[in-house]
Amino acid sequence: MADHESAPVGDADADADADADSDGPILVPVGESVSLRTTVAHAIDVASDGDRGGVHFVAPVPLHDIDDVDPSVREATQELLERVEAWAAEDDPEGALTVETAIIGADEYLFGPDDYAAVLAAYADEHGIDRLVIDPEYNPRGNASIIQSMEAELASLGFAVEEAPFARRVRRGRFLQRGGRAQFLTLFGVSFLFYQLLGGFAMTRFDLLTGAASAVIVSAMLYRVSLGDRLRVAALARRSARLVLFVPYLLYEIIVSNLLVSYAILHPKLPIEPRMTEVRTAVWGSMPITTLANSITLTPGTLSVLVDGRIFTVHTLVPTAREGLFDGSLERAVRFVFYGRAAAGIATPRERGDCRILGEEDETE
Amino acid sequence: MLVSVAIVVFLAGGVFFTFVSAVGVLRLPDVYTRAHTASQTDTLGAGLTLVAVALALGLETTTIKTFLLLIFIFITNPTAAHAIARAAYEEGIEPWEETDD
Repeated sequence: MADHESAPVGDADADADADADSDGPILVPVGESVSLRTTVAHAIDVASDGDRGGVHFVAPVPLHDIDDVDPSVREATQELLERVEAWAAEDDPEGALTVETAIIGADEYLFGPDDYAAVLAAYADEHGIDRLVIDPEYNPRGNASIIQSMEAELASLGFAVEEAPFARRVRRGRFLQRGGRAQFLTLFGVSFLFYQLLGGFAMTRFDLLTGAASAVIVSAMLYRVSLGDRLRVAALARRSARLVLFVPYLLYEIIVSNLLVSYAILHPKLPIEPRMTEVRTAVWGSMPITTLANSITLTPGTLSVLVDGRIFTVHTLVPTAREGLFDGSLERAVRFVFYGRAAAGIATPRERGDCRILGEEDETE
Repeated sequence: MLVSVAIVVFLAGGVFFTFVSAVGVLRLPDVYTRAHTASQTDTLGAGLTLVAVALALGLETTTIKTFLLLIFIFITNPTAAHAIARAAYEEGIEPWEETDD
């Protein structure tokens, strides 16, 4: 513990001086991370040095974590906050600072960095806070890191934002994010291989040269766009492996529903019962939501009409397709691909009460 | 021989689903229901046909391209269908129901 504190002090002093004109408590968003302990120590440091009177530790928890997922998630968050409180008491033995903890965002759907910034800003405004200390390893969504965009957003809202120092991360983080070298090389590799694939791996000098040239152009233009997040090779590999299992399943669903819809279309009486429905899906993050919306549309009989956060407006053609949608098998498969087997087990939209047929409220049974 | 049979079966399947889809576009009542059937052509219609093409070509560079083609169709088709449905919905077009007859 002592070794954590020695480094940050110099930093904290410089920052405290820079913001000498502002006072009031400090806001620290917390979540499970390797550098949480250091961040708590640093926040207490800054608050004591700047005579700020208090620190607020808040855990932004999106609605779904607390609402539809099992209660252990809520307990885990509560435990985390208790742990943070205990640490804060350790670092501030005289109790000179008021330490508060809170869960925020529980009634909102936190979708991206902007949403996290918004709930933090709302909390800060409510409590007269103008300064935030961010845990450098804070990563609420588990996969792609959002803190850089979140910090930028908060800074643009007029808050003083500062990352707590954490020695281990600095080297690793800077390398990838500043140079973006890993992103560039990855994109270059993929484009180059794709080019050779189209050329049938002829491996002539012409193919190699033109391939390298186009790959350079593609990766130079797009490496910041298409690979904006930090690369996590292991997670990506696991996800791709699960995607390979997902594709045959999706094909199976497509074939079954194709037959169903074909039957309805060819039947002389045209037995269709089209209904607009609304489903609050239990997926989060832009890639999973895109995948789910596209899979729903790919399956004949269901068609994503509007997607607003995790609320999907889906048009369904026949009752069987509607039942399938409400049983959430595709949703479960998408969760399996992106979050692993544990997340696949979440209750179906029907069990959660997250689906309804628009225009006839009483028939959702 | 077996391969030729498989090719014919897949082609027939592709033609069947494309035909059903065409019938669907004519018979179904409104823009939303028609969008459902349009995805049939692209999934099983094009899918089965492309599998037949891949079988007919055998192991070749072009076969890989056939599969890439399929992947692109599977990504672009739902995007287009969604765009149409969403545009219709935002224009305030009411979905047809059986009682509207």
